[in-house]
Amino acid sequence: MSDTHTASGLGGDARVLRSGEREFTLDVRTQDMEINFGPQHPATHGVMRILIRADGELVTGAQPHLGYLHRCAEKIGESVEWLQYLPYTDRYDYLAAMNNNLGYSMAVEAVMGIAIPRRAELIRIICAELNRIGSHLIAVGTYGMDIGAFTPFLYMFREREWMMALFEKICGARLTYSYIRIGGLFNDAPPGWFEEVALFCDTFEAKWPEYYDLLIVNKIFVKRTANVGVIPGRVCLDFGLTGPILRGSGVDWDLRRDMPYSLYGEIWRDGAFQVPVARGEMGTVGDCWDRTWVRMREMQESIRIVRWCLAHIEEGPVMAEIPKILKVPKGEAYVGIENPRGELGHYVVSDGEKMAVRVRVRGPSFCNVAVLEDVLPGALVADAVAIIGSTDIVMGETDR
Amino acid sequence: MASSATATYVRNIWESVKTTLVGMRITGKYLLQKPITVQYPDERMPIPDRFRGIHYLEQEKCIECLACARACPIDCIEMEAIRHGKELEWISFTLDYQKCMFCELCVYPCPKDCIHMGTEYAFVSFDRSEFKHDLLSFKGMDRAARARMKEAEAKKAAKDAAKAKADAAKTAAKDKPAADKPAAEKPAPDAPKAGSDAPKAGQDKPDAGAAAPGAGGAG
Amino acid sequence: MQSGSNAFLEALRAIAPAAVPDWVLMVTAAVIGFAIALGLISVAALFFVWLERKVAGHIQCRYGPMYAGGWHGWAQSLADGVKLMLKEDLVPRDADRALFIFAPGLVLAAILGAMAAYPLAPAVFFGQFSLGVFFIVAMSSMTTIGVVMAGWASNSKWTTYGAMREAAQVVAYEIPLGLSLLVPVMAAGTLDLRAASAMQSGLWGMDWLIMPWNNPFMLPAGVLFLVAALAETKRAPFDLPEAESELVAGFMTEYSGIRWSFFFMEEYAAMFLMSAVGAVFFLGGFESPLTHLAAQIGGTELFVRDAAGTLAFDASAIPYQIVAGLTLLAKTVFGVFLMMWLRWTLPRVRIDQVMTMGYKYLTPLALLCVVGAAAWEAIKHALWS
Repeated sequence: MSDTHTASGLGGDARVLRSGEREFTLDVRTQDMEINFGPQHPATHGVMRILIRADGELVTGAQPHLGYLHRCAEKIGESVEWLQYLPYTDRYDYLAAMNNNLGYSMAVEAVMGIAIPRRAELIRIICAELNRIGSHLIAVGTYGMDIGAFTPFLYMFREREWMMALFEKICGARLTYSYIRIGGLFNDAPPGWFEEVALFCDTFEAKWPEYYDLLIVNKIFVKRTANVGVIPGRVCLDFGLTGPILRGSGVDWDLRRDMPYSLYGEIWRDGAFQVPVARGEMGTVGDCWDRTWVRMREMQESIRIVRWCLAHIEEGPVMAEIPKILKVPKGEAYVGIENPRGELGHYVVSDGEKMAVRVRVRGPSFCNVAVLEDVLPGALVADAVAIIGSTDIVMGETDR
Repeated sequence: MASSATATYVRNIWESVKTTLVGMRITGKYLLQKPITVQYPDERMPIPDRFRGIHYLEQEKCIECLACARACPIDCIEMEAIRHGKELEWISFTLDYQKCMFCELCVYPCPKDCIHMGTEYAFVSFDRSEFKHDLLSFKGMDRAARARMKEAEAKKAAKDAAKAKADAAKTAAKDKPAADKPAAEKPAPDAPKAGSDAPKAGQDKPDAGAAAPGAGGAG
Repeated sequence: MQSGSNAFLEALRAIAPAAVPDWVLMVTAAVIGFAIALGLISVAALFFVWLERKVAGHIQCRYGPMYAGGWHGWAQSLADGVKLMLKEDLVPRDADRALFIFAPGLVLAAILGAMAAYPLAPAVFFGQFSLGVFFIVAMSSMTTIGVVMAGWASNSKWTTYGAMREAAQVVAYEIPLGLSLLVPVMAAGTLDLRAASAMQSGLWGMDWLIMPWNNPFMLPAGVLFLVAALAETKRAPFDLPEAESELVAGFMTEYSGIRWSFFFMEEYAAMFLMSAVGAVFFLGGFESPLTHLAAQIGGTELFVRDAAGTLAFDASAIPYQIVAGLTLLAKTVFGVFLMMWLRWTLPRVRIDQVMTMGYKYLTPLALLCVVGAAAWEAIKHALWS
């Protein structure tokens, strides 16, 4: 232990008070402990190292160290063909791979200036929203595990298994799909898929209250997360935080509604979904409970979006007409979409060649990690785990 | 002030007890239900049709165009074959599963739709070299291809012979007085090399069945 | 009131030749008792580890161990035990070697000592303990010394955190534990487990202390006892010293192999003992309708002193003893199951919240229960006797 005590002695520091009593003071100097959180985390946030300076149980400073999962994804984007880059996009936020595919594809389609067939758009949205549900299930499930409740994690994984089985039927893969491609989709949904998605929606809606009752409103969970790690709305905007963190701090901003892409504008105008914004129900606005609540509510909203898409599904092609050897015309585009973790942005620069000149990815987790340095000091060490879990960081996206 | 503190106190106790009991009811319900685990390896999950498993190749259809190899982002496909006119004599078609990320990008560009991803997913080995998996179901040529090749060669040989005869006749007619006429016969087309004729048992047999009216030399 | 001395001692006295001095028989009886207690703890730990994994599994929609031994993996704990014994014995270089090695031993010794007060059957026990429950609570508190010792001796920041939390938590919850136990002790009038169990034998074996007609404050006291027992045994939702502690396993982080298994044996043995105390004082102990039935069909004392003063062995009492012993065991296992169920339902409480709960909620409520129960008993005795 690195404490150093210097007791200046009982005799030397006595003061005589007016009443004649002697007052002794003890000059004790202690050093703050420096603790390493990670890179091996007990909680599944990936490999991240946070250097924490703690005065006993109180955290006085925090410094995240990143880069343990860096795989040069953006550089690889410059040396493989446009379509070949798609599997790499899967692998940054591996928990919500459909959304990554969608972001990249939309950016390239924006440069190409092509239109996507409507059936493809609808299936894209279904897949993206289902994946949002899956990602939030993991986020809340592992958060429960961090807090100490092991069981909700298993229950949420049971639903996530079903979601992965759905994706397995449509594209063959369970985690890294490479299904949403430039120009549309790789292949159409198999017969019976939409019926099964509808069944999933119904079952999931019935199970949602169970998660809510078991974990979210459990008194101990509330005590652990309410008023903990409060991020005021102003701080969110300063740090550029997006996603459930932003909405958990009371800021009403969702890219699907405010900067609509794909068919979301139409879905919003139809009144099919709402944007959940936290109001500080259990504690202060912007605490960990609010962020978890936003994620839970977003799952419900995603079900409603999926139902809308199922109701409006129509026949047609799922691929636009694009050449086999894809050469994207000269140009650049930035497209930001609403990832389960925030705004996922792809900035794509093309020179007219078969390969990109630059693929820059704005990973939401990377921007969200920055706030830890600001919000951890002042919390207890036990709360640090709760705060880190509530920001729902995926290191694949942070480091790429 | 005091009453609100007492109220909070009592409410805390009540909420703790209530949420605990609600939670216990949910977990108790699942305690009594049958688990959903599939006991692998005794039981297996059903595999959907589009599952991205180990590849399989419909070898007869493949034309070695290398579209799949070019499409692969990691360059894990390598193939080698000898061309005989339009037919292929296969040497190897390997896919390196140490690199493959099962992205299925190789399946779509195939013009003959011959590479697919199957339903096998358990690929275990003690030796790294086994992971460069050869997708061929047989090496060399299959009987249909061989038959077609021989037929093509025979036709070509016949055509050449006929052409040579016509040429010779023409030259003879033209150069009747001429002394030496280099009967520039085109050499007979290459008989298939001895090596490649090394028969896989059963490949050579059915010449009879393949309806090729065997032209003499091509054996 | 059950009387009679240690069953092992009486049995030895009955079969030993007269030439053997009594102190030899006493020592032999003590050794036999110790061996049985040690066996009981080991088997209990093995069984409860298996039960925990199965309960956890089925709550989480999965099976738990299925493979080792065939039927639902019953031999899993045995296999794990063998594995742990074969592991490398690791003592960190910078650890305080003597304390590091001594700590798990102390922890296990303390709980083994507490086990001495657990009655296997009404006539089969390790010794007469008029201080029964007080002894158990006191001895099981000694395990805290071992835990703090382990955390300190490991010479690591994380383990020290865990040890400090453990000390704070256990000390805080001793008070509600004792106070909530005062309620049934008052109603039973004795600290002795066997005697307390015997006085609940009315109403065909269903006159348990927790029944509302005995004392309405008994149920809240029982709940408080359960919560305090969870905190004492470091079980979720109070498993801060063990699970979270920022990383691996709190004070147990540096322990591996058989030393680690000592801590686990201690945990399950402590759960067993707390559950047994709860079963005796709240749930009737040996008494149940089946026990009552067995008492009707045979005798109840294994060794009866007849008119001449000689001790005779009464074999007809065996069914009663077995049924009674199994009843207590069943109630204890139910209590342990309840603790496991709670573990897999609830999240973990933060350390300062643990302290708040202990001092501000449990202690006042327990005091309230004691005062209320005392008033009730006083009024009852005044009116009906």
